[in-house]
Amino acid sequence: MQSNLLPASPAAVSTPPARAPLAREWLWNAPYLAVGVFALVMLALVWGLQKRELDLERNTLARDVQWAEQTMRLHLQANQEFLVQLARELAQRGLNAEEFQVRASQHIANNPELANVAWVDPDEKIHWAAPFDTTDWLAGQRLNAHQAPAFANARDAGRPTYGEPYVDGRGKKQVEIYVPVFDGRRHLGATVGVYSVDAMLRHLVPAWFTDKYQLSLVIGEDNVIAASSATRPVDDALVYVTPIEPVGHDVKLRTVGYRTASDLSRSVPATLIIGLSLATVGALWALSTHLRRRVQVEKERDRLFNLSLDILCIVGLDGSFRRVNPAFERILGYPPESLSGTPLLDLVHPEDMAHTVEQLEALAGGTPCAFDNRLRTIDGRYRWLSWSANPVPEERLIYAVAHDVTQRRANEEALRAETAFRKAMDESLVAGLRAIDMEGRIIYANPAFCRMMGFSAAELIGMSPPFPYWPPEELELCQRNLTLTLSGQIPSGGFEIPVMRKNGERFHARFYVSPLIDTSGRQSGWMAAINDISEPRRARAALEASQERFIAVLDGLDAAVFVADAHSDEVLFANRAFKAIYGFEVVGRRAEQVAPGVAPQQPQYATDPRQLAPDDLPRDLFDGEVQNPLSGRWYHLRERATRWVDGRVVRMAIATDITERKQIDEINLQQQQRLQQTSRLITMGEMASSLAHELNQPLSAIANYNMGCVHRLRSGAYRVEDILAAMQKSSHQAERAGKIIRRVREFVKKSEPNRAPARLAEIVEDAIGFAEIDARKAAVRIGNDVPEDLPPLYVDRIMIEQVVLNLVKNGIEAMQATLPERRELRVSAHLADTRQVELAVSDHGHGLPPDANDKLFAPFYTTKSQGMGMGLNICRSIVEFHDGRLWAENRPGGGSVFRLTLPVYAEE
Amino acid sequence: MVAATVKPAYDQQCVHLVDDDEALRDSLVWLTESQGFRVAAYESAEAFLAAWSPKMSGCLILDVRMPGMSGLELYERLTDMQSTLPVIFITGHGDVPMAVAALKKGAVDFIEKPFNDKDMLRLVETCLALDREQREKRLHTAELRRMLGLLTQREREVLDLIIAGKLNKQIADILSISIKTVEVHRARVMEKMEARTLAELVQRVLSVDKD
Repeated sequence: MQSNLLPASPAAVSTPPARAPLAREWLWNAPYLAVGVFALVMLALVWGLQKRELDLERNTLARDVQWAEQTMRLHLQANQEFLVQLARELAQRGLNAEEFQVRASQHIANNPELANVAWVDPDEKIHWAAPFDTTDWLAGQRLNAHQAPAFANARDAGRPTYGEPYVDGRGKKQVEIYVPVFDGRRHLGATVGVYSVDAMLRHLVPAWFTDKYQLSLVIGEDNVIAASSATRPVDDALVYVTPIEPVGHDVKLRTVGYRTASDLSRSVPATLIIGLSLATVGALWALSTHLRRRVQVEKERDRLFNLSLDILCIVGLDGSFRRVNPAFERILGYPPESLSGTPLLDLVHPEDMAHTVEQLEALAGGTPCAFDNRLRTIDGRYRWLSWSANPVPEERLIYAVAHDVTQRRANEEALRAETAFRKAMDESLVAGLRAIDMEGRIIYANPAFCRMMGFSAAELIGMSPPFPYWPPEELELCQRNLTLTLSGQIPSGGFEIPVMRKNGERFHARFYVSPLIDTSGRQSGWMAAINDISEPRRARAALEASQERFIAVLDGLDAAVFVADAHSDEVLFANRAFKAIYGFEVVGRRAEQVAPGVAPQQPQYATDPRQLAPDDLPRDLFDGEVQNPLSGRWYHLRERATRWVDGRVVRMAIATDITERKQIDEINLQQQQRLQQTSRLITMGEMASSLAHELNQPLSAIANYNMGCVHRLRSGAYRVEDILAAMQKSSHQAERAGKIIRRVREFVKKSEPNRAPARLAEIVEDAIGFAEIDARKAAVRIGNDVPEDLPPLYVDRIMIEQVVLNLVKNGIEAMQATLPERRELRVSAHLADTRQVELAVSDHGHGLPPDANDKLFAPFYTTKSQGMGMGLNICRSIVEFHDGRLWAENRPGGGSVFRLTLPVYAEE
Repeated sequence: MVAATVKPAYDQQCVHLVDDDEALRDSLVWLTESQGFRVAAYESAEAFLAAWSPKMSGCLILDVRMPGMSGLELYERLTDMQSTLPVIFITGHGDVPMAVAALKKGAVDFIEKPFNDKDMLRLVETCLALDREQREKRLHTAELRRMLGLLTQREREVLDLIIAGKLNKQIADILSISIKTVEVHRARVMEKMEARTLAELVQRVLSVDKD
């Protein structure tokens, strides 16, 4: 996170005020309470209703039972009446057995509750029994133990009495009524009505009653002696017990109402109420859980909404803000409440307007969008936001998230600029860059490197050693250097190896290696900068060669040359001639100490070199002769202040040893000195060599002639003419030798300089004579076309001879590269005008360079590998001394012509 | 061009002399003839080359330094043409290194001007003797070659095996012929090569092969 995007402080996030927890809890529990109360009331209501219903039923039961009991009693009383009637009639004896049988049977038939009617005599013996087909009451049978007490009671009480209900031998439950028969006072036994208990219940109450209630006869509390069928469940709550008064003996009629509805049906309302209540509670609970969760989620969402560092906002489809989160204020500065209803487009940067409108339209169309734009902050600046928006068309809202990417944009921009800069740098770099990883694989190669090697980056990257640009013959060296690189032992100065371009061309490259450190500070490889040093190498070699040439030229000079710093007097350079004189360890020492004689005293300088500004350079300081006090030798010293290679002011001195010349000068006159100067053109060695050779020829010939003669004379076989001829030839050769000696002597003769009348033809002949040796050596023919009849010249013969000799020798040397048959040098002359003769020396040599006339006669100019370049300069001086001219020109057919004019001797 | 005082005779040894200096040339002819040698003189290397033939016998006295073709160049040309003529160089002052170079190339000797007549004449004699010896040897070799040429193909094979040190039996095995036949061939070879002993035969054949 960037520092300018401050994390939201907790205080800044407003949370909804917490309500009293108690109240809220109460609220949460109220529905449960309501449901409970509702359920209880409902239950009570149901219970009340049921209770009322029960009471009603009881009342009905009581009424019915009373009614039934009454009916039963009426029946019983009717039967009793019948029996009483029977008894009465019996007492009156008005009744026989058959009548009894008929009446009784008729009565039984009408009252099915009666099983039997009998007449029991006072002896407790059954007298008569109806119906006739009965098997229970048989005439003559005695009353059993159950029956006897009732009989007795009836007799005793004198009124109808019910006996206790009992079960007879065949299992029938019976109740009997005994009606005593009294005839007056006389006891005539009793009429008995036998009730079948079951039949009583069956027949004494109407059928609807038994349908409605279960009837039972009980004795005491719970001794049921008979009951109507109880197939249906009974409702124990609906019990009504009423004694059957006529029967007595605590016999009661127990009426139980059939259950009109099942327990289940009765419990249904309650069950339903409870069940529904529980369901309601359950539903409430689920709802509350859901609500709580919703509230939680909402809270979290609110928190997220408020805490989010990104802008979250809800925008209407019309583009106006509906809600924004605090981040909006943090990023753009607008308080969220101030924005409600403000159109988004009001804040959009004008340049982004079109784009944003387009996006909003798309959003209105229901398409989610992501886009970037700039919004104006409250202080008028703009920030880049990256939007992600989702429309919800049914709500006509757009939910949008915007991330502040200003910094990222800026970073990206910076990165892009950086990348572009790097790329530009990469491409403009002349030095090759190549990175390898720790295993030696190439992981990077810049364009310069690719250009250098002729491989494309794609070919190189990923390559492992040996690399394709290693020349096969240098693999070992390259491998060794790579191993050194990977082990980090490469010297800081890098190393040089020969490498090979893709086309096989070899060149030298210098590798500077440095470790490649990645962003985590770990070394990930090695970066090498590579320079093609072939060109520098060549340049260096060329420089060295030129330096060598320079040194060779300076060392080749007989003159001592040195350079000394103008201020410190330190010797910066000295050539071999100088070192040969003053020692080989002079450089770096002070010139004054090294060569006191060579350095002139300060006051002798034209200017003090130490005062000279660089702009004044070069400036001549001294040109003169000095003597070395130690050796006593004389030097011609020329010093000038000039700028040294490093810019400082130096004295450059050229000292030529002129001791010899000086000595001669001291002995001879000035003319002589000049002669000596010109004679220096031929070195002493050359002179001696040519002299020796020249003399060898005649001397050898002489010896041969002589010894030939000697041998012949000894052997005796000879002709005198032959011997004579040989001797003459011999002496002729001796003369030839003499001429040579004379010529040399003339040449070196120290005669007074004199301009005197001289014949050009003779001068040329002598010069050619001297040049002959060189001409033979160079296989050059010399043609002498100088006419004999030219007027005499007024010159110093020796000097002009030297000039001619010099020109002839130059011509010979110029023809070294000419074909042998064309090696011809011609000397000619003619009268130019009345006062001048023009002499021409022409050759078939290499000719003259175009700008020759300027340089040719300058001192130290030479086209020869050996030579000082002084010859022509001196020649011109000599010619000019004779008021003549010396010039050169190229010959039309190749080669060059040197011409000079000399004055004709005028007799005054 | 040939300015010879004596016509060169090819069957006889002759001292050939090349020098551009007329006096020196003339005087050397004079000196050499005084010892009875036949002399042919030439004024330039080119002149000598024109007259040269492989049959020339004798020796060559050559001035190192001459206009046109130098003595050294001439010598190189002669070597190229397989001349066996022994050469004596005459050198002037300062030409000694040049002469040494010539010696290294096989010239017989050099002599420096001015020279002693005895030295010169002794050198000439040495050279003529050397020339004679070489010539005889060449003749001898030519004779042996001729004799070898007389051998038939089969005889030549037998001869090669004899020289390789094989016994008759081995030769018979190698050439798949009977020992008797080998013996016959052997006798014919000895006869044709005019050798009396095996050693002589081997020496003769090897002396030819050496060349």
